[in-house]
Amino acid sequence: MINTVLVANRGEIACRILRACTEAGLESIAIYAHNDAGSMFTELATVAIPLEGETIAETYLNQEQILAIAASHGADAIHPGFGFLSERADFAKAVIDAGINWIGPSPKAIEMMGDKMTARMTMKAAGVPVIPGEEIESEDEAAMISAIVEASHRVGYPLLLKASSGGGGKGMRKVEEPTNLEEAIKGARREAIAAFGDGRVYVERLLTGSKHVEIQVLADKHGRTIHLGERECSVQRRHQKVFEESPCPVMTSDLRSRMGQAAVMAAKAVDYVGAGTVEFLLDSSGEFFFLEMNTRIQVEHPVTEMVTGVDLVREQLRIAAGEPMSCGNLMIRGHSIEVRLYAEDASNNFLPAIGPLAIFRPPVGPGIRLDTGVREGDMVTPNYDPMLAKLIVWAPSRPEALERMRRALDEFVVLGTTTNIRFLRELCDNSDVVSGNTDTMLIDRVWPNGWKPNYSQTSLDAALMVAAVSESAGLHRVQVHESESNDGIVSPFQTLNRRYP
Amino acid sequence: MQHEFKFAGEMIEVTIARDSENWMLGENRAQVLADGRILVTSSDGTSKFAHSAKVGDVWWIHFDGHIFCIEKSEAGSSNNDSDEGMTAPMPGKILEVKVADGESVESGQLLLIMEAMKMEHRIVAPSDGMVSKVNFSAGDQVQQGDVLVEMVD
Repeated sequence: MINTVLVANRGEIACRILRACTEAGLESIAIYAHNDAGSMFTELATVAIPLEGETIAETYLNQEQILAIAASHGADAIHPGFGFLSERADFAKAVIDAGINWIGPSPKAIEMMGDKMTARMTMKAAGVPVIPGEEIESEDEAAMISAIVEASHRVGYPLLLKASSGGGGKGMRKVEEPTNLEEAIKGARREAIAAFGDGRVYVERLLTGSKHVEIQVLADKHGRTIHLGERECSVQRRHQKVFEESPCPVMTSDLRSRMGQAAVMAAKAVDYVGAGTVEFLLDSSGEFFFLEMNTRIQVEHPVTEMVTGVDLVREQLRIAAGEPMSCGNLMIRGHSIEVRLYAEDASNNFLPAIGPLAIFRPPVGPGIRLDTGVREGDMVTPNYDPMLAKLIVWAPSRPEALERMRRALDEFVVLGTTTNIRFLRELCDNSDVVSGNTDTMLIDRVWPNGWKPNYSQTSLDAALMVAAVSESAGLHRVQVHESESNDGIVSPFQTLNRRYP
Repeated sequence: MQHEFKFAGEMIEVTIARDSENWMLGENRAQVLADGRILVTSSDGTSKFAHSAKVGDVWWIHFDGHIFCIEKSEAGSSNNDSDEGMTAPMPGKILEVKVADGESVESGQLLLIMEAMKMEHRIVAPSDGMVSKVNFSAGDQVQQGDVLVEMVD
């Protein structure tokens, strides 16, 4: 039994989970840092409790403070969402030790899968195929460099350096040739230390031209472990996914059952409980290799929900409460695509952008789902991840899903902060995206010198006229909030003329 | 009515005329709707909706799927284009400086690496030129808008 769920997260995923709690008839507790006061997620909970402290370490990563709030407000379950503490085995253990339900797998499963090198070894032992590569034990920079240089001769180029504690593309470096190896190792190590406090880096062969295909798994405490089909997430920039779909366009029922079985094997190898994702690389010959397992709900989980009809977050709540999962046999219906809307400048190396959401007008209509944690009038700050929303469509077939996504992106208007909407819209027209011939290098291949918006002089002329009319008619002017003096942020608009398109 | 704007580094004068509900510019007509959108009708009779919002001095315009950031220049304001410096896109920390004062650099060359939002960002030269001054060194904290590197052509 669970009555009250504390959601140890913020933004879009906190909204997703809090809404599921409301639908399940559960009480919920949101926790928020002072710079998140008034955010949408704080309004969706039964109660919202402020966190003390300034930095992320003092707030959303502060285990003691979160557990103290859980205890004093009677939470009997904690949902970590993704990011933050979601894959921290020590936190999962502390939650369980405090007598609170942990909505996720056991600390041991998190530990075995969270350390990428240990996960590789566990999967090899379980008979799940892994990418050719080598684990590197050294932690000292000089020893690590010499060990990786030596391993690189056996692994071959191009290769990929990965932080053992990595995720979200952090601490990852692609190396095309030996001359760049040393600098790349230093960079990956430095980024890994900064992001995870763990500088261990290992090396894998970079499998070019392969697809990123992941399998959603679900396991309850009654001995049932199932897979819910795949998601293809090949289209990535800076090793972060931007376009995700289910089913994978090249999937066959035979391949799905083999990959699904491997994923179930992987989950069983660590006695997995809850929702998890086993990521694979699928090469052009149909061979697949284990990449990693994410022991939490995934950003792109909605596409699976759309095609399978399973509410994954609701199942997480059920499983944590000790109930059997409610879903029956796997049925895949139609096609779903998700794009991630980021506050970033796609024409400038996808550099994160900040500013006010002066206008935020999402699309509506059949087959459209928007998962977001922001609304018009909010400020996009450099404090957190720049993902603004996930736009998800469902349609009976892949071509129709793409048509629907184009229509939805055309309707989506965001002004005041630079976003990647136009980039995503043009991505939907790319011939390889249309044909389903997507691989992890697609963005680099299609836009080797970076993407630039391609508008006509006629559109620019019209835009100038609109600016003049808006000025003359005294239209919509957005109040620019003065930044609080103590966080030292210069007004984002000082650099407007150089940094925005 | 005449307005002076700046777009992509260029000064542009736009003169519009008003005829009751309609604003005109050449063959184009525009109408402000009750919800603040603007309906633009071009000479061939096709109409499209535009959205606009002003943030600071900049008009953000959404038209035909594209976003245009058009800066309003107030008459007499000094738009001195001392814009040759590379500015920090957001608050962060300098990790590595790859160039020294007086060094010649090519367009696209890596000048320095900074960390912001836990990601590394590469600041590159926007054009060929010479580095006249590097204002920070590795380990320094920078604020958004800080001039990191100054360049001369």
